[in-house]
Amino acid sequence: MTGIDHRLALERLLASDHAAPNPIDDIEALLKAHHPDYREGSLVSLAVGANRGSECPTALAASLQSNARIEDADLAGAPVVDTEVLIIGGGGAGCAAALTAAEAGGRVILATKLRIGDSNTVMAEGGIQAAVGEDDSIQRHFEDTLRAGHGCADRRLVACLASSAPDSIRWLIDRGMRFDLAEGGAIGGKLLRKKPGGATRARILSFKDYTGLEMMRVLREAVELDERIRLWNRCPLVELLSDEAGHCVGAVLYDLALHRFVLVRASCVILATGGVGRLHLNDFPTSNHYGATADGLVLAYRIGAALRELDSFQYHPTGIAWPSFRLGGLISEAARSAGAHLLNGLGERFVDELAARDVVSAAILRECAEGRGIEREGMVGVFLDIPELERRQPGTLAQRLISLGHLARQCGIDPSREPMMVRPTLHYQNGGVVIDENGTTSVPGLYCTGELSGGIHGRNRMMGNALQEIITFGRRAGLHAARSASRHPAPKVGLFHLQGWRRQLVAAGMPLDRFGPDLFPRYANFDFGDELALRGGKRTTYAPKRARRVE
Amino acid sequence: MQTSQVRITVNGCVIDTEPTRSILEAMIDAGETLIDGVGCMGQGVCGSCRVLVRRQGESEVLSALACETRACEGLQVAFLDHLPMHRHHVYAMDDWNGDSWRILERINATFPEAQHCRHCGGCDSACPKHLQVHKGVMLAAAGDLSAAECFDECIMCDLCTIACPELISPNHLGLYVRRLSTAIGFRPADLVLRLHQIERGEMVIDQDVASTQP
Repeated sequence: MTGIDHRLALERLLASDHAAPNPIDDIEALLKAHHPDYREGSLVSLAVGANRGSECPTALAASLQSNARIEDADLAGAPVVDTEVLIIGGGGAGCAAALTAAEAGGRVILATKLRIGDSNTVMAEGGIQAAVGEDDSIQRHFEDTLRAGHGCADRRLVACLASSAPDSIRWLIDRGMRFDLAEGGAIGGKLLRKKPGGATRARILSFKDYTGLEMMRVLREAVELDERIRLWNRCPLVELLSDEAGHCVGAVLYDLALHRFVLVRASCVILATGGVGRLHLNDFPTSNHYGATADGLVLAYRIGAALRELDSFQYHPTGIAWPSFRLGGLISEAARSAGAHLLNGLGERFVDELAARDVVSAAILRECAEGRGIEREGMVGVFLDIPELERRQPGTLAQRLISLGHLARQCGIDPSREPMMVRPTLHYQNGGVVIDENGTTSVPGLYCTGELSGGIHGRNRMMGNALQEIITFGRRAGLHAARSASRHPAPKVGLFHLQGWRRQLVAAGMPLDRFGPDLFPRYANFDFGDELALRGGKRTTYAPKRARRVE
Repeated sequence: MQTSQVRITVNGCVIDTEPTRSILEAMIDAGETLIDGVGCMGQGVCGSCRVLVRRQGESEVLSALACETRACEGLQVAFLDHLPMHRHHVYAMDDWNGDSWRILERINATFPEAQHCRHCGGCDSACPKHLQVHKGVMLAAAGDLSAAECFDECIMCDLCTIACPELISPNHLGLYVRRLSTAIGFRPADLVLRLHQIERGEMVIDQDVASTQP
């Protein structure tokens, strides 16, 4: 993709009259031509599994319908560890589940692919919804969430979210998480509340503009210091373990530090592996964390769990398009709602900046696809004109767009003088594994919580409901699992579900050599086959594959 | 588009890249396997991609985050592994419950080394976020809970903990003070009231509401 040279585009921007954009005649046609959720050929029908016949993005379908990476023989000699509750994922949901399960007396292992805290949680800036305002109510939170999700969320889950939200905030405060105040002091003050798009009341609580960081560092510390929780970093989930009835009875992990499989026999397995951004659906950049490769979603589906709203993702219109090291990073909607314009390389506005997110995204993609984007160091996007906004409304940057200022400085830009370059970025998986209020799935023994679960956000998530979801449902899953866990491991654990799965793949004519889960983004240059060659001490030192050694 | 190449060294390996690329991107471009020491990929909040860097012609070795640091000619980079560190400052969730007048005793008992700070400034120069770590340690060691604010933007990368010759663990001390001051001293009135209303059954949700239109 090419665009108009950045310098030339800057000159045209300065000369621009910022005239209102022409209205879009045919929104349907625009979406079909340019939006990834609507574009012809971007969705395929699943051929196997509980959701056979449902549509989902092509790249995700390939992962969901992949073959298992392991056979029974791979597990020979692997150490076996028993626990009551096994939690996969070291983000906010996994930590909330682990802490709650441990407090309830369960024996807990928390395993994570990278390092505890490496997650989308730590990157969340906006905040967390809870109806605490005098003018607000949990009923309003319930209704706003349901409406924003286009009415297709699970009412029981949304009611649970809204009514538990204030208590989840108390739980976080008890563990040491701080929130900003609007007035008064730490005792007796009032919490600062921001209004999410689509809400009828201000309901987002926050800590500055790094709420997720404040949450994650508290939860990480609490987990690391809790002697009842065994924490295994660098141990990705490779497969779930089943018994002959198809129940989930544990998991196969791969220890990347010791180069070996570990079998964990667990009465309850809680998946909290997050989203799918790093699969780069439809070749989109993503705002997601490096580990967001849908591992849990793929394995839950393989063992038989049903999914919902798998064709619904959030593409945020204003991801960073330049510089490359921040590609896909998020610029909050605050900039556009404060009045910032979007302009193409000709210096023209091309869409009502406050139109629905999918329309704005599609319009930006159209400009880029048709050569009216702006090109800088090989990256293509459109301008988000903050300097013009600052001239029109002096002080906006300092008062309303603090986070954007920080981001711009990271990019080496003075935001009051130079526009940001943006293009849509893959931000969130709206749907996921079907769960009930306790996070249980259609597979006995298997729980899901956090972004990989579905039903809470319907087809569109409100800002601030993701952080609330991971705490409310992480805690509920942890408590329920600890209470229902048996002390004794299942008598017979194995890979019983794989036989049926492979039979389905063959019957549907699916390839057997597409293995999953992905574990890492494709550019991680990670090959599981190569990794397995490291087992058994054949080659234990790290050796770079291509780069040369220093002479 | 043509950009000039620069040559950097990462963990002893030579990588040719462009000056627009971050250290992490340069590694990915070069086909290196990248499966740890990586996280938020540029936001600079996860603290995973810690590196020591030395720029060409300089003798000083600095700590930095690989996702935020761009390649430049002659840059030498060494990734710092996250050691399964022995945490010698261990405390329970109820550590701060009880007599909050004696909070300084609790701080001293849990982080005794803070009293022995050498004021070497190692923590301040190690911090990739340029926080006033040393000031925070001093305040905490004097029982001043406003130390919490010094660590507002701390990403818990542990670089100050590595740098400290007295093993104070400044970031964990900072987080301890943050957590205790919030857990024992943060009670917003609106939240207190709302919890009370929900617990007494004065506020419930009607799930069967017919319309969800505003």
